[in-house]
Amino acid sequence: MNAISRVSVGVVRNGWGILLLLVAWQAWVVAMDFNSIVMPRPLGVLRDLMDAPDVYWKNAIYTIAAAVAGLVLGMALGTGLAVVAWLSAVLEGLLTPLTVLFSSVPVVTIIPIVARLLGYDFSTVLAIVVIICFFPAFVFTTSGLRALPAGSDDLFRVLGARTAARLLRLALPAAVPNWTVALRVAAGHAVLGAMVAEYLMGTAGLGFLFAETKADFNMERAFGATVVAIVVSILFFVSALAVERWVKERWN
Amino acid sequence: MSDGGANKRAPGKTALGIVGLALFLCAWQVIGHFRLAGLTWPPFTEVIALLADPDRWPMLGRALYATVAAMAAGYLLGTALGLGAAVGAHLFPIARPGTDRLAAVVNSIPSIALGPVFIVFLSRESTAVAIAAAHAAFIIYVSAGSGLAAASRGHRDLLTVLGASRLMRLRHLDLPASLPALATGLKLAVPAALIGTIIGEWFGAPRGLGVLIVNAMQNFQIPLLWSVVVLIAATSLALYSALTLLERACYARFT
Repeated sequence: MNAISRVSVGVVRNGWGILLLLVAWQAWVVAMDFNSIVMPRPLGVLRDLMDAPDVYWKNAIYTIAAAVAGLVLGMALGTGLAVVAWLSAVLEGLLTPLTVLFSSVPVVTIIPIVARLLGYDFSTVLAIVVIICFFPAFVFTTSGLRALPAGSDDLFRVLGARTAARLLRLALPAAVPNWTVALRVAAGHAVLGAMVAEYLMGTAGLGFLFAETKADFNMERAFGATVVAIVVSILFFVSALAVERWVKERWN
Repeated sequence: MSDGGANKRAPGKTALGIVGLALFLCAWQVIGHFRLAGLTWPPFTEVIALLADPDRWPMLGRALYATVAAMAAGYLLGTALGLGAAVGAHLFPIARPGTDRLAAVVNSIPSIALGPVFIVFLSRESTAVAIAAAHAAFIIYVSAGSGLAAASRGHRDLLTVLGASRLMRLRHLDLPASLPALATGLKLAVPAALIGTIIGEWFGAPRGLGVLIVNAMQNFQIPLLWSVVVLIAATSLALYSALTLLERACYARFT
């Protein structure tokens, strides 16, 4: 009995905001007496999720594949270029203003351009996610490679360490905490980017399922797609957060 | 997060940066001129010529005005919400875990999935405002939250010993101490709010830059498509730079 009450106190303490939001939604739907074409009831959405799991699965896997592959490629590309820029002062000077420029620009708006360039298929969704993940990876890794403990770089130089040793044993380890922040930021953007691309281009995936069912006024399935998308996003976010916490513990 | 260290840049670096930008524009021009990336990559000069054409200004101006107005409304609303939630959670620490979770969950909802909810609850016009507000609110909540915790323990103890109430402490110590972090949040919220506005406009707003983008994409008006994206980027950059100055001023005054 005591354990149950402790758990429920914990749920209320941590989750009161979310619970309030759900109650407000339900109350609004009931009070306004919306029919299911305008605003489906939570139970109807749940039933559709149970009835047609195949549709959701297929599209979710498509979106997850694009997000994961794009995240990995974008992070690799951003990290790689940051390391190359660390090695070459000239390249860093050339790239810095461009990346500052691009990271303060809403990248989502270039999705239509990429779609027109590459055509309406999977490679476009992938390319968009890669581009979106590239910028945080490059920006955070670049600043991480410079966030060295005071005096450590001088020490390495005085002891005659080569560039490769300074990179592998000093700069890269120093950049790891920043890099995990980039991973968390990029993980959130990856799902969003993939979904927006699918929504605009309409090939497959959760964004596509959502756009298509919304156009047919099949609101229960459209909201089902939203629910699945939210779950996928939260999974991405929580995994990235777990990596970040683990690294933080190990590194300090 | 602050780029204070970048102030001491050598003149050589600035020159390199200009060269980098010039190379980027040259590559854009060459690829467009020789059609290396197909018909959908216009030369840089063509995009600029379209933006400089006075015949286009009324159309672009109307769209820009609609987008900036929606973004400003969303930005202010989001700032008020985020700041209010942060101050509330600061004054009543027991509420904090709940607001933190709510903020994290709302933030991890892809905003493209928020669109239909807002369309039902609000109207097509205000969907852009609502998504912009949701984007801005999260960033402001996080930055204001960390800023409010920034005052030193000694200062806080001093005010408590002198008999200051929670509200007085907030006004005289915690709020001023939070300004630098808040200014960083205000800066980062600009591109986020702009993205929110554009995505919101894709859900069927009557006018705006987002509407122009989608129309240009679907009707194969390639130079127009690129011009609108450049216009959005320039808008974002101008606002971002202005707020960077504000951020510097805050850091100079309050740290």
